[in-house]
Amino acid sequence: MMMNGSIKYVDGKEMIGEGVGFERIRRITGYLVGTLDRFNDAKRAEVNERVKHTVSREVQL
Amino acid sequence: MIQTIVKRDGRCVLFDIEKIANAIFKAAQALGGNDYETARELAEQVVAEMERQGNENPSVEQIQDTVERILINTGHARTAKEYILYRAQRTRVRDMNTRLMKTYEDLTYKSALENDVKRENANIDGDTAMGTMLKYGSEGAKQFYHMFVLNPAHSKAHLEGDIHIHDLDFLTLTTTCCQIDIEKLFKGGFCTGHGFLREPNDIQSYAALACIAIQSNQNDQHGGQSIPNFDYGMAHGVAKTYRKNYIRNISKGLTLFADLEDGDQAAKELNARVEQESGLKPVMADDNGYRDRELPELCKLVDEQTALKIQKFAVKEALKETKRGTYQAMEALVHNLNTMHSRAGAQIPFSSINYGTDTSPEGRLVMESIMKATDAGLGNGETAIFPIQIFKVKEGVSFNPGDPNYDLFKLACRVSAKRLFPNFSFLDAPFNLQYYRPGRPETEIAYMGCRTRVIGNNYDPSHEIVNGRGNLSFTSINLPRIAIRSKGDVDFFFEELDRKMDLVFDQLMERYQIQAKKRVRNFPFLMGQGIWLDSDNLGPDDEVGEVLKHGTLSVGFIGLAETLKALIGEHHGESEYAQNLGLEIIGHMRKRVDEQGKKTGMNFSLVATPAEGLSGRFVRIDRKLFGVMEGITDHEFYTNSFHIPVYFNISASEKIRLEAPYHALTNGGHISYIELDGDPLKNLDAFEQVVRYMKECGIGYGSINHPVDRDPVCGYTGIIDEVCPRCGRREGEAVSVDKLRELGVWHENAGNCGYCGDIHEEAARIPNPVD
Ligand SMILES: [Zn+2]
Repeated sequence: MMMNGSIKYVDGKEMIGEGVGFERIRRITGYLVGTLDRFNDAKRAEVNERVKHTVSREVQL
Repeated sequence: MIQTIVKRDGRCVLFDIEKIANAIFKAAQALGGNDYETARELAEQVVAEMERQGNENPSVEQIQDTVERILINTGHARTAKEYILYRAQRTRVRDMNTRLMKTYEDLTYKSALENDVKRENANIDGDTAMGTMLKYGSEGAKQFYHMFVLNPAHSKAHLEGDIHIHDLDFLTLTTTCCQIDIEKLFKGGFCTGHGFLREPNDIQSYAALACIAIQSNQNDQHGGQSIPNFDYGMAHGVAKTYRKNYIRNISKGLTLFADLEDGDQAAKELNARVEQESGLKPVMADDNGYRDRELPELCKLVDEQTALKIQKFAVKEALKETKRGTYQAMEALVHNLNTMHSRAGAQIPFSSINYGTDTSPEGRLVMESIMKATDAGLGNGETAIFPIQIFKVKEGVSFNPGDPNYDLFKLACRVSAKRLFPNFSFLDAPFNLQYYRPGRPETEIAYMGCRTRVIGNNYDPSHEIVNGRGNLSFTSINLPRIAIRSKGDVDFFFEELDRKMDLVFDQLMERYQIQAKKRVRNFPFLMGQGIWLDSDNLGPDDEVGEVLKHGTLSVGFIGLAETLKALIGEHHGESEYAQNLGLEIIGHMRKRVDEQGKKTGMNFSLVATPAEGLSGRFVRIDRKLFGVMEGITDHEFYTNSFHIPVYFNISASEKIRLEAPYHALTNGGHISYIELDGDPLKNLDAFEQVVRYMKECGIGYGSINHPVDRDPVCGYTGIIDEVCPRCGRREGEAVSVDKLRELGVWHENAGNCGYCGDIHEEAARIPNPVD
């Protein structure tokens, strides 16, 4: 666990965060999940294929 | 002469003629036979036949083949048939055992990264000891039900992927979910099974008990738990807190100005007198005349001017303290629901809360506080995963400028634009409005977990309410497969769909029959504490079959888009013609479900399946059967229920317009999503317009997706493309500690990444690894 993210010295400078990824919170079938690692393969594929929906002027009410 | 035989696993063992005789005898016995001698003679003929063929060391399979032949040749056709059945059954059991052992092996030796089964449900950590233990149990239970419990026709349909029986591992154990009426639950206190809890006395205890209620109920059911009246329920706690704070501040004032020994005692006695005589309590709105009745009492202790001053002070302080206390309570609730575990420690309870329509100052404070706490995030600013929050949109209450809760609607949009919650439910959609009775919150639609909806009631039309009810079980139909098999013949499609629906009706009823035999003591909280509607009239040994009829039996479906593609070459995003056929299909399913409900008096409903564990299973089987078909089996998943495919380019308004009519048809639950690009916080107007458009089009339940990323090293939350906008590092890269210090996000004593918050909390976190 301490392999990732612990302090390392590079040229005498304290560096941190090597090997640490970003968290990407996504909603799948209604639930939020903190990282994509825990999605099953099909859902991961679904997230990757999502396209954005443009908000056009017709939505203005 | 045969001395040894070869077993299936290749081992050579001593031959024993009695074993053959016994097998034949058992087959004959099943038909009422009782003649061991004949069985023994037939066994000898089998041996003679093998020896005639010169087979001195036969395999088990060869012996069994010979037994079948001899039985048929000697006129024991019925015994032969029984023997073959028995043999097939044994083979099935053996196969299943092998499959189960293989599953266990994978669960044991493969990590969740390699093993899809472990990631079937994203909210269970399949890598922990308890998570794996749960999986052993779950996989074992499924195999057991296939072999010994399920109707073979239903088992076959499930295994082959015609239908999917959801939560199969709980088949004989419990029901799915429930909408907990916390107002009723808290009245007089309740028992968790681990002790009695008194009626809570302030907002902190209300919030804590709400979590305990969710957790306790979750232990009795396999699905999520929902509170349909969070604002109304919690408001009582706020009122009690305000009253306490008011009295305490009067006491402070009296201690200061009346020179009393015990200001506390005096304030309490004074309050008791006023409340008893006037029937009034100090309330947040400060509009009921309590203070007018209190004034003369105060004046007995201090002069009038001082009394007025004390009152003014008490009102101001009580309000301030109540706001602070409520915020802290809501913050704790969100924190609790994200960390507490149920079910042997491997799963955080799936919780949902609905709010939006309580216009009392207390209820409004609850909503403002929970949304602000959600906005602030967990300890280190992380987005809370639970509870799912649902904001009730209602014209005249919480939708238009001038509505009493319009400000909260705006707040809901802002928080959702940052944290993905709350979602929005629309009480004015005709299919929701038909149940709505002003002043009766239990008639306001609520949504559970991912989308489930329970309000109509065939069984008891006098209780068309949300409280104390939920789903019993649901089973989904593989629509695309029926369409592929129809080869463009729409009539055949509808006939085959009817057959599958009949199968599912039967299966749901058989499952209900199992659930119905359970007793109250099997559900110590759900039934024992009277959470479920009408269960408070039952004793611990009573069967729950009758009251369970308040719950729904839901038929689900998946992949309408692929279905249409297979039938007519276009999905409903591509042509009006396809949309019309789509509505005809789902409309037909709804009609069948309604008829079945009328016929049986049960609450059959049609649900737009959330497909948590199912999104890949059907398509994998179908690709094996039919190969890769463009727009049908060429993705890793079938499209969720009636959704327009996620990969199809379409505007938000068009997607909403096309999906809305399906909400009216799917009375067991539904949701529509819009994916927004960029940071919606920078364009809140567009966000709100999307929500308003959903309402105008008749959506029942909707939410807006947008990217929410976080860098655990510097704590930044928002959109992160390649580079973190705060600390400038790329994924996997290190950043200098000096830089973090400069940004003020570095704890000097931290030993792990994530330096923006509480280091004690960070120590327990596992950094998100880069693939
Ligand atoms: Zn950063």
